[in-house]
Amino acid sequence: MKIRAEVRLKPGHFDPEGDVTAKSLRELGFPVDAVKVGKVYVLDVKVNSKEEALRLTEEMCRKLLANPVKDDYTIEVLNT
Amino acid sequence: MDAGKFRAIVLRTGGTNCDLETKIALEEMGVKTEIVHMNKIESKSLLDYHLIVFPGGFSYGDYVRAGAVWGKRVFTRLREQLEKFIDEGRLMLGICNGFQVLVEAGVLPGDGIGETPLVALATNSSAKYECRWVWLRVENNRTPFTLAMEKGEVLKIPIGHAEGRFLTDEKTLEKLKEGSQIVFKYVLPNGEDANGLYPYNPNGSLYDIAGICNRNGNIMGMMPHPERAFFGWQLPEWGEAPPERGDGRKVFESVIEYLENNIS
Amino acid sequence: MGLNISLDRMKYLKQYFKDRPLTDVELEMIAQTWSEHCFHNVFKGDVLTDDGRLIHSILKTYIMRATRELNKEWCISVFEDNAGIVDFDNGYAIAAKVETHNHPSAVEPFGGAATGVGGVIRDILGVWGEPVALTDVLCFGPLDIKYEDLPPGVKHPRYIYRGVVAGIGSYGNNMGIPTVSGAIFFDKGYTGNVVVYCGCIGILPKDSYVRNTCEGDFAVLAGGRTGRDGIHGVTFASVELTEESEELRSAVQIPNPIVEERLRRAIIQIRDERLASGITDLGGGGLSCAAGEMAYRSGLGVDIDLDRVLLKTPDMAPWEIWVSESQERMLLSVPEKNLMRVIEIFNEEDVEASVVGRFVETGRVRVFAKGRTVCDLDLKFLFNPPKVTRKARLPKPAHSEVNLDEPRDLGEELLKLLSEPNIRSKEDVIRTYDHEVRGCTVIKPVYGDEAGPSDAAVIKPLKDSWKGIAISCGINPFYPDPYWMVANSIEEAVRNNVAVGGRRIALLDNFVWGSPENEDNMGMLLKAVEACYDFSKALDAPFISGKDSLYNESPLGAVRPTLLITGIGIISDVRKVVTPSFKEEDNPIYMLGLTKEELRGSAYLRHKGVDGGEVPRVDGVISKRIIDTLIRVIDEQLVLSCHDLSEGGLGVAAAEMVVASKNLGAEIHLRKVLSGTRRSDFILFSESASRFLVEVDRSRYKRFEEFFSGLPFSKIGRVVKGAGLRIIDLNSRVSELSSREIKKAWRGY
Repeated sequence: MKIRAEVRLKPGHFDPEGDVTAKSLRELGFPVDAVKVGKVYVLDVKVNSKEEALRLTEEMCRKLLANPVKDDYTIEVLNT
Repeated sequence: MDAGKFRAIVLRTGGTNCDLETKIALEEMGVKTEIVHMNKIESKSLLDYHLIVFPGGFSYGDYVRAGAVWGKRVFTRLREQLEKFIDEGRLMLGICNGFQVLVEAGVLPGDGIGETPLVALATNSSAKYECRWVWLRVENNRTPFTLAMEKGEVLKIPIGHAEGRFLTDEKTLEKLKEGSQIVFKYVLPNGEDANGLYPYNPNGSLYDIAGICNRNGNIMGMMPHPERAFFGWQLPEWGEAPPERGDGRKVFESVIEYLENNIS
Repeated sequence: MGLNISLDRMKYLKQYFKDRPLTDVELEMIAQTWSEHCFHNVFKGDVLTDDGRLIHSILKTYIMRATRELNKEWCISVFEDNAGIVDFDNGYAIAAKVETHNHPSAVEPFGGAATGVGGVIRDILGVWGEPVALTDVLCFGPLDIKYEDLPPGVKHPRYIYRGVVAGIGSYGNNMGIPTVSGAIFFDKGYTGNVVVYCGCIGILPKDSYVRNTCEGDFAVLAGGRTGRDGIHGVTFASVELTEESEELRSAVQIPNPIVEERLRRAIIQIRDERLASGITDLGGGGLSCAAGEMAYRSGLGVDIDLDRVLLKTPDMAPWEIWVSESQERMLLSVPEKNLMRVIEIFNEEDVEASVVGRFVETGRVRVFAKGRTVCDLDLKFLFNPPKVTRKARLPKPAHSEVNLDEPRDLGEELLKLLSEPNIRSKEDVIRTYDHEVRGCTVIKPVYGDEAGPSDAAVIKPLKDSWKGIAISCGINPFYPDPYWMVANSIEEAVRNNVAVGGRRIALLDNFVWGSPENEDNMGMLLKAVEACYDFSKALDAPFISGKDSLYNESPLGAVRPTLLITGIGIISDVRKVVTPSFKEEDNPIYMLGLTKEELRGSAYLRHKGVDGGEVPRVDGVISKRIIDTLIRVIDEQLVLSCHDLSEGGLGVAAAEMVVASKNLGAEIHLRKVLSGTRRSDFILFSESASRFLVEVDRSRYKRFEEFFSGLPFSKIGRVVKGAGLRIIDLNSRVSELSSREIKKAWRGY
C-alpha cells in the first residue's frame, strides 16, 4: 500500500529554508508572500488494511520521520 | 595524573567524520581511546568504557533529520547496555552530530531513553551551514564535562553545522533552567548574553543554548567542537600570540578530573 | 548524443577494422578514450603556428619540460598518475590534484559542482592518498545581469552561483574534508560558461604508493552502483554547450558523499594493510577508461565480465555499463591471496564491491556480457590514436594609452574597489564550507576574529610533525595578454605561498579555454604554455600535475581564457607562520618590489571601464631573488606580518591588512614607494608583480634592510595605533579611512 507522509515545520516556527526560497522567488519577480518547506515520504507499506497503514505511518512519524518539538505531519493513503 | 587507566570509545557509522580528531584529543589527555564502527559494536562491551563519545559528522547523510537515523538505530540496538551505562552514571558526550543523535534518541535532556525527543536541533536561522568561532559561557560547572571551568567563564570554540538551532517548548525550557541542565550558552565576546544576536548566536538557538546535559549530569551534548579548539595552533589568531592551548581542552580536562575523583 | 569522433579518425577506424565490424561497446570505448577530456589530444598533439613552427605536444614541450629540467629529488610522481606526489615529512608524501567540472555545473549546478569535488577526492584516493584539504575556485557571470540578456540555454548566473556554492559545500562538509582555500570571480566572460575548479590535497606514507598490477590479479570494482547517470560525460565535456545541452542531463552524475566517505575509509584500510597492487578512480569514461588504463600502464591486458558489475537498474545495455560515469566508484587490482580480506574490509564499511574481471597477459581489453564477447581491442591501438594537428594564430600585442583623469579622492576610490564583487571578502561563502573539520587547519581561509584575508591556507596534517602544507592559488583572467596573464598567475601562486612562509613550491596548472578549433584560441594557449615553462623555471617551481578543459563555448561565445595555478608549499614549522595582521605600533612597513605604471586589466581600470596601458610583467630574476630573500628574513623572524599585492594593488593590500588587525592601522606615504609613475592613483592601484607589504620588527629593521640590499624595496610607512588607514599622496594630501569604513566596504558589515 502506498502512503504519503508530509512532514513540515509547525506553524509559528521560523522556517529558514522557506524564508530564503520566498526571498529568491520575489527577486525573480514572483508575487510570493511566504514559502513553507517540508519533506514528503512516499512509503510502500506491507499491510492489509487502510486503518493499519495509517496507524503504522502515524507511529513512524512519531518515532522517526518527525520531531514533534518542531514538526507537524499529514498522512494520506495514495492507493490500495 | 595517570589517565591511562581510563578508557573511551568513540563510535562511528557511515558519514561520521570527526572521530579521529576526537580520539587525538582524548589520547593527548592520556585516555585509552578506541574508534569503533557500528558494524563491529557487537564485539565490544560498552560497560568496559568510562566514556562514550558520539562525534561530529553527517551520520547516514543526515537523511530524515540530522542525527535522527543513527539516534534511533543505536539506541534500539544497544538499548540494554546503554541504559545500564547511563544508570551507572558513566559518561556520554555528544559533539555536534553526536548532540543531534542524543537529542533524537531522546537521551537528552531527559532521564533514560525517551520515545520521542523533547528538544530539537533545527535548521540554522541563516538557512546555511555555519563554520565559525563562537564564544560560550559556562552556565553549569558542576558537570563532569565542566568541572575544570569557572562558572561564567567564556570559552572560544568553533562550530560547524547546518542544523543546530536549539528548540523546545516553554515547559521543557523551564525544566532545563531549574535543573541547571543548560551547560553552555552562546554569548558576546565579553561574556554578555547574545540574546539571539547573529553571528554570536550563530544558529538562532532558543535562549542562546549551545549545550545541555541530562538531569544527572553524566550525559552532555554540545554543538561546538571542543576537539577543534584543543591545541593552540588550531586557534584563529595563530600568528599573533595565542595561548598554547585552546579552550576546548577544558572539556577533556574536566572529564579526566571527574574520573580521577570518582573511579578508583 | 553523438560519439564526437572526428571524420579523420572515423576513416582511420574504418581502415583499421576493415576485416570485422566494430561492436557498439568497442565504438563507445574508443570514443571515450580518444575524447579531448580523456586523451588531451590538443596538449598531446601537434600545433602548427602562423609563423611556421611545428610543435609536438605542447604539454611535453613546455610544462613537463620545465619539471624535467628542474629535476627535483622531492618530486615523487609527476604527470603520470591520478595526482602529483611530492615528498613531505616523517616518511609521508603529499598528493595534489585540481580538476574542472564546468560543463556539468552549467547544466546542473548543484550536482555538477558536488560531483566535481567527489571526483577530485577520488583522484587522491587513486594514489592511495588520504584527503586532508579541498580547494575551489569559481568563476560566474555577473549576478546582476538581466534575464532578458540571456540567450536560451544559458542559465542565470545567480541560479548557477547558488547551486555551485551549495554543491561544493555539501560534498566537502559531508565527507569531513576541510575546504581551506579558494577564490570567486565574476565576469561577463563566464556568463555562458561557468568555471568550477575543485582541488584536493592528500597525504600518504611514501611506501604505500603501490602501482604493481600483475597478471592474475583480480579487478575489483567498489563503491556506488553503476547506473545510467553520467553516460557520455566525457564526450559531453569535449563539445560546446548549446540549447540542447539541457536535454543531456543524463550526462550529469548524481552525488552521494556518504557513499564516498565509506569508500574512503575502506580504501585507506586496504592501503594500510598493503592488500592491493593497484588502484584508480572511475571518472571520465567510467569503467572503460579505468580498466583499460590500469592494464595498459602495467603492460597487461584485462578481461572484464559486465554481468558481475552491480547495477542501479537491471536493464542496462553492455555499452552503457561500460561507459557509465556513475559516481563514487574505484577500481582496484588485488592479488588472489588478499582478495577475501579486501572484500571483508569493504563489507565492514558497508561498501558494495564485486570482482569484475582479471588482469591477463594478452595486451588486450576483452569484455564479456551474457556469455558473449562484446569488446576485444588491442590496448596499444586504443591508447595511441592518430595525432591531431591544430593551427595557432599568435596574438598580436595591442598598445593603447590610458585615458583617465586623476580622481580627487583616493580614499573614496579605494572604498569602491574594496566592495567590488571580485575583491570584496567572500566570507559569506567561505563560512558555508567547513574549513575546521579534521582539526588540522592552522591558517584558515578567513583570518582571525576579524575575518581578514589570508594569502594561503596552512594545514598541519601530521600529529607528530610541526611541518605544515601551504596551499595557495594564482589566477588573473583579466590581463588581456595570455603570456603575462600566466606569468602573473604563477608568480601570484608563489607569492601567496611565500607570504605565509611557504617554500619548495610545487605547481598545478588548470587551463579553461575556448574551442581549440579556433586558431586564435590556440595561439593564446601557446603563449600561455610558453609562460608556464619560462616562469616555472625562473621561480624554480616545478609543475607536478595539471589538466586542461577546452571547448568551453556557449551561445554567448568562448569562455574568458582562464588558467588557475595552485601552489603547494612546505612550512618548516607552523609555529613560525606569518599572517597579515599588524602586530605592533610604530613598526616600519616596507614594500618589496617595484611599482610600475602597469594597470591594463587591473581592478582599478576595469572598475573605471577603461582599457589601456600595459599589463603587469614579471621579471623572473628579480622575482626569484625577492622571494628567496623574503623566505630568509621570515626564517630570521624579522617579519611580523606580510601580505602579497595583487588585485587592487597597494591600496587593497594595505586595507586588507587593516581588516585583519585589531586596533592597529597603517600610515602609507605614496612618495616613498619606488615607482616610475607620477600619479598617486596609479601608485596606489598598479598591479605590478613581485610586490609584498611587510611589517618588520622595528628593533631589527637594519638587519632586514641588509638582507634586501641590492633589491628594490623601500620603507613606505608605519603601523599606527587606532584602527584605520592613512594614505599620504604625492601632493601630500591625506586620505584617512577608518577601520569601520574599510571593513564595511570589504566585508559588508
